[in-house]
Amino acid sequence: MDSGAASGSGRLTATTSSFALAAAITVLFNTALSCAKDASAPLKAFLKSLTDHDWTTQGLIDLALFIALGLVFTKTRIAESIDPGRLILGLIGAVAVAGIGLGLWFAFV
Amino acid sequence: MHISSSDVVLLAHAGFGVTGCLAAVWVFAEALNAQPGNAVRLHRGALLVALCMCAAWICGGYWYVHFYPPERQLILQGPWPFAHNLFMEAKEHLFFCTAILALLLPIATREKLYSNPAARKLVLSIAGLIAITGLTVEGAGAVIDHGVKVALLEKAPKENR
Repeated sequence: MDSGAASGSGRLTATTSSFALAAAITVLFNTALSCAKDASAPLKAFLKSLTDHDWTTQGLIDLALFIALGLVFTKTRIAESIDPGRLILGLIGAVAVAGIGLGLWFAFV
Repeated sequence: MHISSSDVVLLAHAGFGVTGCLAAVWVFAEALNAQPGNAVRLHRGALLVALCMCAAWICGGYWYVHFYPPERQLILQGPWPFAHNLFMEAKEHLFFCTAILALLLPIATREKLYSNPAARKLVLSIAGLIAITGLTVEGAGAVIDHGVKVALLEKAPKENR
């Protein structure tokens, strides 16, 4: 699946780049879902109806999304073409958006 | 002395979280000095981070769902309602980011970090982000705890203060 040459050339293997991209997307999705369910009572009630608690459902959705996206990206090798530097910046940016975004949302909205 | 299952689960949650953060700092230091000799140790450190954060997720989730509601009521009626409205709300959702990063770390440490600068930077970034977000979540936990304490102190008879 992963080429050995990738490790020596300063590129990331298909699996690593795929799951890094999946993590960045999942982090952004989690932030959006957190704000959406806080703003929408019906969405929160729907999430709660699936596992008895909206937080539990959200965690399971995040986990499933991370694994599914990682596997799909690995199979399609989409993330492999992304420059590793951009991928790292994207991941850091996604976590920064999550941290600052969630803080501001719950402080002011 | 009485230690309830709620206390054990809550302290286990915090303990696993701190251990996961410390392990992330360990992985960060190992990645700074990445060489063939520490590759296995580095990967084991990453697995420890993932294991601790998963345990913190399960313990914290169980406590939050089963034991937190009465404490939430106390906080909201006390002088520090923001301990729930801001700190708990942000913490419970930011933790998912820490957990996802913790699951990503052992995947990234399968790379040969000593000969791959890109993989090394990725591992340094992931471990650093886990430590930062993890410690932020830990700090938020302390504020929430204090929110309960000041609410209880306000309810206590004045002669006991």
